[in-house]
Amino acid sequence: MKLSVQLILAFSLILILSLADSLSNYFLSVKVKENTEFLSRSQEIMRNSASLHKMMIVMQSSFRGYLLTHDSTFLAGYEEGLRRVPVLIKEQKKLVNENSHQKVLLDSVDFLHEEWTDYSNTLIRTTNYHIENGDMGKVNPVLYIYQFKNQIGKKINDQISEKFLAFDRAEYKQRSVHSANLMESIERTHTFSILFFSLTMLVGVMTTIYIISFILKRIRTMVHLAENISQGNFTTLDDKRNDELTSLSASLNIMSNSLSRNINKLEKQNLELDKFAYVVSHDLKAPLRGIHNVVKWIGEDMKNEVTPELKKYLEIISQRISRMEDLINGLLEYARTREQTSPEVTHVDQLVTEIVETIVPRSFEVRVSKLPVMVTEKLKLEQIFTNLISNAVKYSISENGRIEISCKEFRNHYEFSVKDNGVGIDPEYHHKIFELFQTLREKNEKESTGIGLAIIKKILDDQHCRIKVKSDLGKGSEFIFTWPRIENMI
Amino acid sequence: MIKKILLVEDDELDVISVQRTLEKLEVKYDLYTAYNGIEALGMLNSGDNPLMPDVVLLDLNMPRMNGIEFLRTIRKDSRFDDMKVFIMTTSSETVDRSTTEQLGISGYILKPLSYIGNIKRADSMDAFVEFHLRKILTDN
Repeated sequence: MKLSVQLILAFSLILILSLADSLSNYFLSVKVKENTEFLSRSQEIMRNSASLHKMMIVMQSSFRGYLLTHDSTFLAGYEEGLRRVPVLIKEQKKLVNENSHQKVLLDSVDFLHEEWTDYSNTLIRTTNYHIENGDMGKVNPVLYIYQFKNQIGKKINDQISEKFLAFDRAEYKQRSVHSANLMESIERTHTFSILFFSLTMLVGVMTTIYIISFILKRIRTMVHLAENISQGNFTTLDDKRNDELTSLSASLNIMSNSLSRNINKLEKQNLELDKFAYVVSHDLKAPLRGIHNVVKWIGEDMKNEVTPELKKYLEIISQRISRMEDLINGLLEYARTREQTSPEVTHVDQLVTEIVETIVPRSFEVRVSKLPVMVTEKLKLEQIFTNLISNAVKYSISENGRIEISCKEFRNHYEFSVKDNGVGIDPEYHHKIFELFQTLREKNEKESTGIGLAIIKKILDDQHCRIKVKSDLGKGSEFIFTWPRIENMI
Repeated sequence: MIKKILLVEDDELDVISVQRTLEKLEVKYDLYTAYNGIEALGMLNSGDNPLMPDVVLLDLNMPRMNGIEFLRTIRKDSRFDDMKVFIMTTSSETVDRSTTEQLGISGYILKPLSYIGNIKRADSMDAFVEFHLRKILTDN
């Protein structure tokens, strides 16, 4: 399966889990809202219930008071009750559930109240009638009837009280049921939240592990391959999965193979070139030697018969042949500077001293300042110093020339300087002198091949180093070149 | 008795060079020249007047039969066991010393047309002439 698909699936799963969590919380909040609404309604119901009961009690006591005292002020409370109780009951009926036990209770209360009001109304009317007719004598019997009937009245009132009690109890029970329900919902939601959270964590952790171990590991293998390639180690990857990373692996493999092939080709070409240069120079030298010797023999055999011009001509032939030999040797040297040598511990001061002792005449003054010890390709450095010092000797003005060799150390490289007080080089030619076969023909008796500096330049180019010359005609020359410094190899 | 020297060498200039060097010797000798191994064998085996050289100066790189093959052939013939064979080599030639030494060599000479090289244990032509040839030719 493609990586993108896998990752999308994983993240979708996490999103879905989040969504589910949100949903369950949403449902909980709906339930809480419901519960709140229920509670406020319940409170209203209880308030109404209390008011209703109170009103009925007021009616009862007003009724009793009037009967006992005949004071019509008591009737105020009774009449207010008469008016308002039905209204309250109607309201309460609206608030209460249609098919509930509470409705039944309310209906009972309604009915009982009617019974009582019938009873009380009758008694009050009778009392009023007698009071208005001045029949005070008949009031007592009314009171008697009242007392008799009080049992009935009392019974009704007790019943009403019971109903109210039951009603209230029912309401409280409902409240506790609702409350228990809500608690249960909350618990359930908590459980779900924990579940979703755990699942989310699980999916998240597994995705991370997957990314790190499988995907990153493969990426690391590819990085490793790239590093190998950069160090010339052309290995390939084995990637059989068929996802986005596989195409990268394939590309890297192609690159590695291509580089490997090209470098092999180049190396082969270089080897062939080297062989060619060697064979050419070797085979060119043989006939040259032959010519040289024959000319020598002619000179020897015809010593006394040869005219001065002829002698000179023979000499010129010999000279030219020598020069050609030098050129061929120089070419061979130039071709071979590409050869890799292995780094070794090099005491540069010793190296330079040996060169000086070999090629610098004793009449010269040579000053060598502190030179470093380093691990480097000794032969190449030796070649550079040899050529520079030999040039210094070649182009000196007198037998007592002066050569100074010094070194400056920098963090990543060295800067070497070979300075002489010879004939100097016209600034016009400062960059030309490093070209192959360039020599400055003016004013020098000893011919040079023009290869020495070209060889130096080639060695330095291969090392990514530079050389520059500070010089002017008659003012000597200073050649400054850089050389790599490999810090942690000593 | 005048000693005989057989020079087996294909390069014209090398022959002249050896001849000129030998001429500096004040000792008399007879110099015979063959340009390859076959010619040399011919001279050694020629019917009524076979050549019996005291010294053979042998080049290795020759057409038709090179020095080693020639050497092998004559070493099979015991008539030539007393012959002193010197191999002429250039500095850049790599001589298979084990083979040549097995075939009984008296020494190695650096060819005068050679360059200054690193070959060890080979005398220069002049040194050879001075120290070996003179002695061989004047020995009785």
